[in-house]
Parts: sequence; structure tokens; C-alpha cells
Amino acid sequence: MADLQDELHTTAEVGAFEPLVVEAGAGDGHADEADAAGADLLPRAHALLAAHPVADGYSGLPWALRHLSWYDLEIGESAVDTDLPRLREGHVGALFWSLHLPEGLVGERAVGATLEQLDLVRTVVEAHPEGLRMAHSAAQVTDARNCGRVAVLPGPAGAAALDDSLGILRSLRALGLRVLTLSGASWAGVNGLTRFGEEVVREMNRVGVVADLSGASDATLRRALTISKAPVLCTRSAARALRPHPANLPDDLLAELGAAKGLCLVPLTAEQTGPSVRDVADHLDHVRDLAGPECVGLSGTYDSGAAHPRGLADASGYPRLVAELLGRGWSAADLALLTWGNVQRVLRTADFTARAAQVRREPSTASIAELDG
Amino acid sequence: MTQVTDIPSLDAARALLAEFPVVDGHNDLPWALREQVRYDLDARDIAADQSAHLHTDLARLRAGGVGAQYWSVYVRSDLPGAVTATLEQIDCVRQLIERHPADLRAALTAADMEAARAEGRIASLMGAEGGHSIDNSLATLRGLYELGVRYMTLTHNDNIAWADSATDEPAVGGLSPFGHEVVREMNRLGMLVDLSHVAATTMRAALDTSTAPVIFSHSSARAVCDHPRNIPDDVLERLPANGGVAMVTFVPKFVLQAAVDWSAAAEENMRANGFHPLDSTAEAMKVHHAFEESHPRPVATVPTVADHLDHIREVAGVDHLGIGGDYDGTPFTPDGLGDVSGYPNLIAELLDRGWSKADLAKVTWQNSVRVLGAAEDVAREEQSRRGPSNATLEQLDG
Repeated sequence: MADLQDELHTTAEVGAFEPLVVEAGAGDGHADEADAAGADLLPRAHALLAAHPVADGYSGLPWALRHLSWYDLEIGESAVDTDLPRLREGHVGALFWSLHLPEGLVGERAVGATLEQLDLVRTVVEAHPEGLRMAHSAAQVTDARNCGRVAVLPGPAGAAALDDSLGILRSLRALGLRVLTLSGASWAGVNGLTRFGEEVVREMNRVGVVADLSGASDATLRRALTISKAPVLCTRSAARALRPHPANLPDDLLAELGAAKGLCLVPLTAEQTGPSVRDVADHLDHVRDLAGPECVGLSGTYDSGAAHPRGLADASGYPRLVAELLGRGWSAADLALLTWGNVQRVLRTADFTARAAQVRREPSTASIAELDG
Repeated sequence: MTQVTDIPSLDAARALLAEFPVVDGHNDLPWALREQVRYDLDARDIAADQSAHLHTDLARLRAGGVGAQYWSVYVRSDLPGAVTATLEQIDCVRQLIERHPADLRAALTAADMEAARAEGRIASLMGAEGGHSIDNSLATLRGLYELGVRYMTLTHNDNIAWADSATDEPAVGGLSPFGHEVVREMNRLGMLVDLSHVAATTMRAALDTSTAPVIFSHSSARAVCDHPRNIPDDVLERLPANGGVAMVTFVPKFVLQAAVDWSAAAEENMRANGFHPLDSTAEAMKVHHAFEESHPRPVATVPTVADHLDHIREVAGVDHLGIGGDYDGTPFTPDGLGDVSGYPNLIAELLDRGWSKADLAKVTWQNSVRVLGAAEDVAREEQSRRGPSNATLEQLDG
């Protein structure tokens, strides 16, 4: 666990920012005042993000690019929400690229379409060597960051991509898959995980694929929290207490997620969080209060077809959000965890868990027919 | 196993293989493991003697002087879900390599093959057997390459939308426009184009388009034994210009004319009993063995196979010859080549026929390594000129 401690230590060192935060702590009043305070805090937000960039938990870019005949992310691409100038402006340091497929793609077609998505991710990253770099582990994310590149992590993919086969899970992992959403398959339904579903989670732990539970049933989330040896993610979940969206998490689940040291990545979508920067900040406050500062993160959810809050229309808006949080008295240490540290912690713990599990467990040959009958 | 040659040449063969081991183009162990034990690798541990169940285990690979093996990630072409099954086959090969690090080494390049030889490990490569494994998607083709697949046979026993098989009715007359694009993309990637199983028209079309050497991972000479799975002389004659390699297979029903005829009758019998001719389940094998009881099976021998090597050397030249046993992919094998330990018998036979050691080193090792290296060189060149192709079957074939 030495590496984990290193990571936390780095975070603590940014205490230099603390006085700035205290100074702006009272900005909780009138709308205009808050905006003024936000503008005032913007340079500090930029400085903080320069040290601790955003690890963004969800981008729909691969599917959006699939339908463009030509694009250049390096110069800037108006047809999508995400390009390198805006990623740099928003201080995005790592980005999960969703491999989710449209509904209805199942069985072998889902496997084929997922291979095509992974191929597209690889092709796009290779075509932008100055800006992007593929990363398959926490260490590679750090490397990419140190080279000034945005780390691209393939995932989450939907559960349908496995076509009910652990061999396919391992092959997709070999191709770089890092996160899998536990919904959209017979083994992860409204009643929770079946026996095969639990075996999928164990095999994911063994190979280092992190479980994503946004969109999964409450029963699946609870079961995954119990059996997963590595922390889980919710790549796109806000607080249901503030906004009753089915993918948002109720308070009790947020508390359970926090107790299990999972990570709730709050999406910047009008539908799930509300139409303004302050609405997003309200969700972040709420999730932090219930799950803890080590268990909350950010999920841009750009290029997924969702509408975004004003001021957060694309990846360049993150400093505005961080300024708002500074205005609300978030400490620099908590902000560093929010933007970067928590995602790195989850990836690194998943890497450790996999390494430890591989010593103890052989690849699972279980089939869905055997376990679920 | 019948000892077919005298001891001195067998010793010489073993000595030669110790230095220049066999690169075998095709072994169906992964499919056998899928069918027999559903990938329960403990139930068929190749570190132990598996001669009761398989042609292949580590001790016999060592005894056979095998230094590199293309493990076939074959899946049946008459069932849906080929991409899914291919990924599972690839996973199986990766597990085998992980389980036996002292004997097997994953190899993705010619340099890896040489490194494995230097370490005394068996270079383990993968070959996909049939274009059905990519489901008409060049992105899926690239996914297979990324996972380590280094050749793809363009078809198996059935036609696919963009290429004709040797054992099906002609449909597109070789390769369709999309089929040519698949070959170009394989060249760009550095994945070898394998022309075993394909129709002669497809072989010629692929040779027209391919800028890299091609292989025949397990095919013999049609002039010696007239079976559509074998290579016609006009195609063999093009190998020197192309630089490719014909890896001679041992399958009796392809190398011995009497076995060709017997096999046609046996397959007819399987169909009459309601089994797919390639079905290898216990029940199907029972039917097969019953037929064999009443119809004595013509026996191929080491000299039968050597005749094919002699012929291909005449027509294509010794620089374009290799070996592809098809072990665990065929129920029957020639006498003296009963499993993967048999290669020294073949080398001894060729020594007895006067083949030089230098020529045999080419056949066993050098030619096949050269071909993969040449494909890598072509890939580097092509990649400097063009990016990945996303052409579709619909676009090109209408």
C-alpha cells in the first residue's frame, strides 16, 4: 500500500492553497454575489487544476466520432463537445471514453460493436500523439500526465459486451477495457447479481476491470459493494435527494458507497444535476457530505447527447465549477481529491487487487449455463 | 509409432531440429480444449501426458523438435457467434502461455520467434482460421491483430461474403472488392494472409493484391494428390515472386489419393447418420470409428508426405516450403507422424532422400520466420502511407 500513501501525501502537500479558500469562505449568499465571488476565484481554480487536473469519468466521444467522416481534435472540432483546446482549457488530465452501445445491440453484435469501438479509441489516440495517450493503469495515467498528455482510459462498456463469457471479459481487458457497467445483461438485472454475475465481478477483480454501477439496480449496487474486492465506481450518478433521476443515488446508497470507499462521479448534465453550476455544486456538496470527500468525483458526460448546465457546455468549463466550490469553502485538499486523487486511488487499488488476486486465483472457466442454469 | 527410418538419420534429424526447430503453421489444440473440456485446462493439463486425448502436449512438442507454433484460434463457420468464440479461443491461448512460462513464450514478431529459440522456449503465435472470425469488419480484424493474431486464413470450409472457399461452390469468383480490401488491411497491419482452405481463384486474387508474402498454413500439393484443399502448381510457381511459404500438411485425406476417396465416403456416412463431418464429439467419433471398422482406412506414411515436399521444392523452390501438421484438427494422421512428436521422422526421411541440412533448416525454421519478418517490414511501409481502412462490405460490394 506504499504507493497509495504516496498519493495521499502528494494531496496533503497542496495545503499552500488553504488560505485562499478561507478568504473566500463566506460566498454563500445572493446569486450575484456568488457569481462575483466565482469570477474572483477563477484564477485560483485554474492554479489548483493545473496541479490536480480533472479525471473525467465519462465521455461519449467514441460513439459521436463514429458518425463523423472527418475530424481533427488537435485543432478543434466544433461537431463535438470535446477537443484538445477545450480539454486543455478545462485542465482535463484523464478521460474515460465510454464504449456503451445503443440499446438493442446484444449477443455477438454487441461483442463486434465493442471491438469496433475499442479500435476507434485506439485509432483516435494514435492520430493525436501530441494530445492524447492511451493508459491502462494508474501508473500510465500518471505517466501521461507527466508528459503533458490527456490519458485516455477505455470504458465503461456495457455488460452486453461480454456476451455472457468470461473469456471475452479477459480478451476485452487485454485490448484495454478498464471499466464495465453492470447493467444490460441477464446476470445483472433488477433482482441484483445472479451467481454468474457474482463470478463476473470476481473475475473483473482478478483482471483489474472496475465495476461501474450507474444505471444498475439498487440490488446490483448493494451486492457489488459487498463482493467486490476493489472499489467500485458510479460513473454517472448524482444525488436522488436533490433530483429524482433513476440513475441518481438515494442517500442510503451514497452512504454505503462511501463506507465501501467506492466513488460517485457526478455528471454535469442538466437532467441529472440541474441547469446551473450551482446545482452541480449542490450535488457535489451533498455527495461529499454523505459519502465523504474521498468518494466523490466528476463526470463530464460530454458527447453523450445530454444537455449540460449553463457555463458547463463543454470540457472547458471545469474551472468555473471549481471556483464555485472554492467559494463554498471546499478545501484545496478536498478539491484535489475530487478532480484527480479519487479516480487515481480507485484505479491504483484495482491494479493492486488484480495483482494480488492473480496469485491466488486461476482464470475462471465458469459459464452462465453452469451457474445460472 | 512406427519407426520408418534407420537410427543414424533419425539422430541426425534430431540434431538438426535442436538447432533449427520446426515452425508449425497450424495446431488446433485450442478447439480440442474447447470441445473436450470447455477450456478446463486442469482437465487437459498439457504439462502432463495427454496422448490418450490429444495429439499435443509439452513433452511431445519437445520430443518433436517444435520451436514455434501457430496455435489456431479456429471457430466453426456454420454456427453464429464467430467473433465471440474467436475471442474465447484467443483467451485460451493466452492462458496456455501464462500457465507454462518455462515452455511457451508469446511471440508477436519474427524477433520474438528468434528470442524464443535462443531461450529454448516454444514461440507461441496465433492464427485465425476463416474470415468469418471478423464478421465483415476491418475494425474487428484490427482487434484480433491487437490481441496477437498473426495470420488469418481467408475462409474455412464454407464461402464467406467476400471470398470463395476451396470446398464450397464458387460465388464471388475469388475475392470480392471488399475481400481485396481485407487483404490490403492485413498487409497494412502485418497480419499474414493465409491461403489454406481457399479456392484456387481466391489464392490467385490474393496473390495479385498482397504486397506481403502469403502463407499456406496447412496445405499440400495438388499435383501429388488431387484435393481442392491442396495448392495447384500455377499458384506454387508464384511463390518465389511473392516470397511466401507453403506449409505442408500431413492430413491423410489431403495427401494420399486413396485416403481422399475413402474420406469422401466416410463423410457421406457421417452426414447419413446426422452428424456434421467435422463433429468430434464422442458420439460422432463412434460413428466414424464404426465406419473405419468396416472400411479399412488407407494409411498415409512419412514418404507420402515427403513426396509433397519434394514436389513443392521442385515447383516453388526450397525457400518457399514449411510445415503445418494440423494436429488436433484431424482425426487421422500418417504412420510415423501420429502426433507432434513425429517431426524428426519426416526430417530423417528427407535426409535419406538427400536433402541438405542447409535446405532442411530453411524448411523447418528459416523460411517461416523470414515470412513473418517480411510482413512486418511491409506493414511499416504501408503504415507510413495510409491509415486504417474503415471500408465496409456494403460500400465496396454493394
